[in-house]
Amino acid sequence: MSGSPNMSAGTEGSAAKGDPLLQIIGLTVEFPQFGAASRPALNNVDFSIARGEVVGLVGESGSGKTTLARSIMQLVPEPGYISGGRVLFEGRDLGTLGPSELRQLRGREISMIISNPRGELDPLQTVGNQIGNVLRAHTPLDGAGIRARALELLRQVSIPAPERRINAYPHELSGGMAQRVVMAIALACSPKLVVSDDATSGLDVTVQAQVLELMRDLVTGFGTSLLFVTRDIGITAHYCDRVAVIYAGEIVEEGPRDAFFENPRHPYSILLLSAFAQNERLRRYWLGDTTAGASRAREQGCPFANRCVRVQDRCRVENPERREFGRGHFAKCHYPVER
Amino acid sequence: MSLLSVEDLVQTFPVAGSRALVRAVNGVSFTLARGETLALVGESGSGKTTIGRCLLGLITPSGGRIVFNGMEMGGKRSVRSPEIRGKLQLVFQEPSESLDPRMRLHEIIEEPLRALGLDRLERERLVKEAARRVGLPEWLLTSYPAEISMGLQQRVGIARAIVSKPEIIVLDEPTSALDPTARAEIIDLLIRLQRELGTAYLFISHDLSAVRQLSHRLAVLYLGMIVEQGESAALFSQPGHPYTVGLLSSVLLPNPKIKRLTQLKLAGEIPSPIDLPKACFLAGRCPLAEERCRAVMPPVETVAPGHIVRCYRTDEVMRMEQAVDYFGQFQAESDRILGAGVPRDMR
Ligand SMILES: Nc1ncnc2c1ncn2[C@@H]1O[C@H](COP(=O)(O)OP(=O)(O)OP(=O)(O)O)[C@@H](O)[C@H]1O
Ligand SMILES: Nc1ncnc2c1ncn2[C@@H]1O[C@H](COP(=O)(O)OP(=O)(O)O)[C@@H](O)[C@H]1O
Ligand SMILES: [Mg+2]
Ligand SMILES: [Mg+2]
Repeated sequence: MSGSPNMSAGTEGSAAKGDPLLQIIGLTVEFPQFGAASRPALNNVDFSIARGEVVGLVGESGSGKTTLARSIMQLVPEPGYISGGRVLFEGRDLGTLGPSELRQLRGREISMIISNPRGELDPLQTVGNQIGNVLRAHTPLDGAGIRARALELLRQVSIPAPERRINAYPHELSGGMAQRVVMAIALACSPKLVVSDDATSGLDVTVQAQVLELMRDLVTGFGTSLLFVTRDIGITAHYCDRVAVIYAGEIVEEGPRDAFFENPRHPYSILLLSAFAQNERLRRYWLGDTTAGASRAREQGCPFANRCVRVQDRCRVENPERREFGRGHFAKCHYPVER
Repeated sequence: MSLLSVEDLVQTFPVAGSRALVRAVNGVSFTLARGETLALVGESGSGKTTIGRCLLGLITPSGGRIVFNGMEMGGKRSVRSPEIRGKLQLVFQEPSESLDPRMRLHEIIEEPLRALGLDRLERERLVKEAARRVGLPEWLLTSYPAEISMGLQQRVGIARAIVSKPEIIVLDEPTSALDPTARAEIIDLLIRLQRELGTAYLFISHDLSAVRQLSHRLAVLYLGMIVEQGESAALFSQPGHPYTVGLLSSVLLPNPKIKRLTQLKLAGEIPSPIDLPKACFLAGRCPLAEERCRAVMPPVETVAPGHIVRCYRTDEVMRMEQAVDYFGQFQAESDRILGAGVPRDMR
């Protein structure tokens, strides 16, 4: 993407080349109405994304994926709040930015794509107008420049007949088309980080494959970083460079894709993988007994202790530290699986 | 004789304010034997749910025959006739939407028994038996749907479906709203129930890895037409229709090394079934489409016993696509990866 001026050059000396684009340190997010005794929605999360990297964040419903994605943008929904930790973007602490600085950041440097594309789009405005709004807010383009850029974006997300589609309203688009338009909006200002929160979950597998390939190609082509938030561990296996597994608000394992899938260490990661295995004995073993309903995370100790087949006394009292097992491969477990 | 036979089923819907028709199902034929699972796969909008609704008599087909246990449905005979009532049941995709939030779980499970003229004690006994079979503890049965997890809600949906001892259950995407762990448990449950009760399933899904685990045979539906049908294992390893290839190569198994790599990528998306092409429905998306594909509808051809394909270019597809059992490979790898740390006697 040639048009994007190199704005970050020479700013804040700390954003050196090898530094991660995004660095989350000890992030804790709480939703107070749950009472002081329960665990926070995010608990002391350390996580980073390098430039041009595609990272998958996978976990079950309610594990904190959306909360993490939104807190990157400093958009934790009320009454939630960030009670600890920092989010550094190119070395800048986003927690210290004011509302207008954050508004500038969102959409221009970090953009987010969520599922239910139709809900994302304004039903009363044409596709072209909605892309135009973003361009008007964040770039010096106007009039013909905006239209040309909007057409270029529609073409980049492989929308057929963009000259016609630019005048379409959201209800005239299929789910896959609407998702592509949302992507075009997210990419409009050549952001440095795109966060996709379950963005392809409502699509057919065939269309999902098209959209995922497109996202990865666009992102790698432009050196953008991508965070794929998903419940589908299969997506992370095929479209990400690195995988992080989140359980009850904690990243319990994280590693380079091949190392993670070849040698998963945390019993919860293995549980997620075992859900796809046909070998019922192995699956039963890792899933444990869940017929009485999902057991809740413990208030102290390892969050997974109540569901873990390898649990020992120590796990119930002491939350394990994050340990490195191989290059960039971390897990939080007292008794990780050895191979 | 098959338990169920569907012949040339057609279903159209009027389009409000126009003379056009939505052609949801366009001449579908299949059979289902006792205790068998036939999977019906295809993108959304391909007509899967409509076929299920026809079978259950929720809508009246515009054409074709449905024969259940030797009895032709239609006219005076429907799923509500005494000789059929309770023999066909349905499990929905969204448990939360299909369970009445104001009813207690045991009342929900009991529903299909109401019309069967059983006394209260017998109904209670059957409800308890169904709940036990699906692994719902008895103390939970006085709860309301909102008080339990989605996985448990889906168990309630399944208990309701088996309580009248049906011969066929139509499962309309029963796992797609669930988390992976709940999904795996529902798959296990369905397999176990079929073993215990001998119920036949029409398993509608686009979760192909669940389909591979559960189904004996597979019918691939595109725009209301079956484009390929056969033994599941055979179709998964050697598909003969470009559309089947497109579906299979989109499956993302959680192992970065295992994926069906193919040149046969489908372009675009499924169109609306209002203006159907005259010839092959897939021609607009198919990388192998040639002149005749756009001119004349390809006939159904038998490529192996029990394996039919509706495509002119099946030979080409089979030449291009290696016969590889990716799911088998995936299972072997996952046995190895998941086997670590498991006590020997539990592997
Ligand atoms: N607005 C809110 N008010 C109160 N609690 C919330 C709110 N948003 C999230 N939570 C809590 O925070 C935790 C994490 O929720 P989050 O939405 O981040 O999960 P998720 O992983 O994105 O789930 P899903 O896969 O269903 O989207 C949950 O326990 C949830 O109940
Ligand atoms: N009651 C209806 N009225 C009009 N069109 C319908 C109706 N039910 C289904 N359709 C249309 O029929 C086609 C097939 O739908 P459906 O059977 O729900 O597909 P699937 O279950 O495979 O997603 C779709 O185009 C859908 O919009
Ligand atoms: Mg979420
Ligand atoms: Mg459907």
